[in-house]
Amino acid sequence: MKHVNKRMCKIVDEFFTYFVDIGANNITANFKDTDDHYRLYLKSNYKTMDKKKLDQLIKYLNYPKSEEIENYYGELAGESDIDTKLTLVGLMPNR
Amino acid sequence: MEPNNKIKITVITIYAASLVAFGFIVDTPYEIAAGLLRILTRPDTLVTDYIGVGGMGAAFVNSGLLTLMFIFILYKLKLNYSGVTIAALFTISGFAFFGKNIVNVWVIVLGVFVYARFQKEKFAKYVYIALFGTALSPLVTEILFSDIWSLSMRIVVSVLIGLAVGFILPPLSTFLLRAHQGFNLYNIGFTAGIIGTMFVSVFKSYGFFPESQMIWSTGNNFTIACYLAVVFISMIVAGFYLDRDSLSKLKNIFEYPGRLIEDFVFLEGIGPTLVNMGLNGIIATTYVIIVRGAINGPTLAGIFTIVGFSAFGKHCRNIIPIFIGVFLGSLTKVWAINDPAILLAALFGTCLAPIAGEFGWIYGVIAGFVHSSVVLNVGILHGGTNLYNNGFSAGLVAAFLVPVINAFRKEEVE
Repeated sequence: MKHVNKRMCKIVDEFFTYFVDIGANNITANFKDTDDHYRLYLKSNYKTMDKKKLDQLIKYLNYPKSEEIENYYGELAGESDIDTKLTLVGLMPNR
Repeated sequence: MEPNNKIKITVITIYAASLVAFGFIVDTPYEIAAGLLRILTRPDTLVTDYIGVGGMGAAFVNSGLLTLMFIFILYKLKLNYSGVTIAALFTISGFAFFGKNIVNVWVIVLGVFVYARFQKEKFAKYVYIALFGTALSPLVTEILFSDIWSLSMRIVVSVLIGLAVGFILPPLSTFLLRAHQGFNLYNIGFTAGIIGTMFVSVFKSYGFFPESQMIWSTGNNFTIACYLAVVFISMIVAGFYLDRDSLSKLKNIFEYPGRLIEDFVFLEGIGPTLVNMGLNGIIATTYVIIVRGAINGPTLAGIFTIVGFSAFGKHCRNIIPIFIGVFLGSLTKVWAINDPAILLAALFGTCLAPIAGEFGWIYGVIAGFVHSSVVLNVGILHGGTNLYNNGFSAGLVAAFLVPVINAFRKEEVE
């Protein structure tokens, strides 16, 4: 995968947008680059978390790994302040 | 591969095969062969209706065969079928009625393949760009079937241009997504418009002017509408057969804004997606009939593209405002609602559906209204060599409207 570091930043960006969208005002991110994988730890508070939004988050993050879609549409991640594109976050990582 | 991938491949293959079968029902093998020869040996710039050029049978056989060829390629690449796969294949089926044929698409596909090799990556990673990128096939045939040089020279130049187009498509199409932020579903159309404009500008500098044309068949509404009715009703029936919860999941589909990337096959499953595709196919066909338009090659392309992208962002709640916008335009502007270009603007303009889905139906109406004017003005830039002229226009409209709408919306939020 090309531009891995940039893509990691985009993933963090998408999560921050999602957290802010649910009313977070205290978000912590911890990023670790190990020999064989990246680890991203995110913690956030929230104001309004309805079940629908949580279900959607889980659904989007479970998008199967898809290099052909990631390669074409990956640029959209972290590009919009209108809504999140967590599907892109879901399809980027190897499982 | 996913376990239910076979079901998806089978369903799409049946629909592709039905195009070939229908072709042989309406015409004899001799008529089809003669028609295909006419289709394959002429330029394909906008608007070239293959039903008008080669007859209904040849046009349907060309569409079915080309789709089956791409299904075979995707099968060999062992790709899981997703919403974008269905969108890409139906776009191929549709445009194989007006500009793409079983010969002229391959040079561009080869160009994308060369780019993948150059990047030392798998072709599978770029295959959707290759499929959508065949929109610029007329650029190849425009030179191949011109009379400017000797045949050998034309073959060499057209192949080189096709390869060059395929090579630059991947980086450019990815980059240009940012311009409209995923609010134009036909991103390759936007990209192809830019590429076509660049190439045609250079052509004109050397005295070669690609010629637009208008081959627009009429009088086949009843026959083609019967075929479409069977296809779309069967999609709805198959959808409910594959998933009994299709109705409730269809309601979920209606809630998605549709901005790239919204993959209904993954999010809700193939059953409700098929129902959504069938419903939108019926809506699009009904629109053409109500405004007394012709169901022919170009409008079939519009209808099939709507059906394909109903797996990847479109649903009735976000496409109808676009139709209304184009219709309102026809009441105040200088053209009629069933003029060929305006009919196509309504059908293909639904690539702006995410604007209605994200910001509300009023903005969708505005997008349709603006698009119907812009699309009439941009074709001259690429000389009709970009088959996705509406995608080009929609990219400009989205890049213009989204920041403006967003500015208003931010104030509303505050």
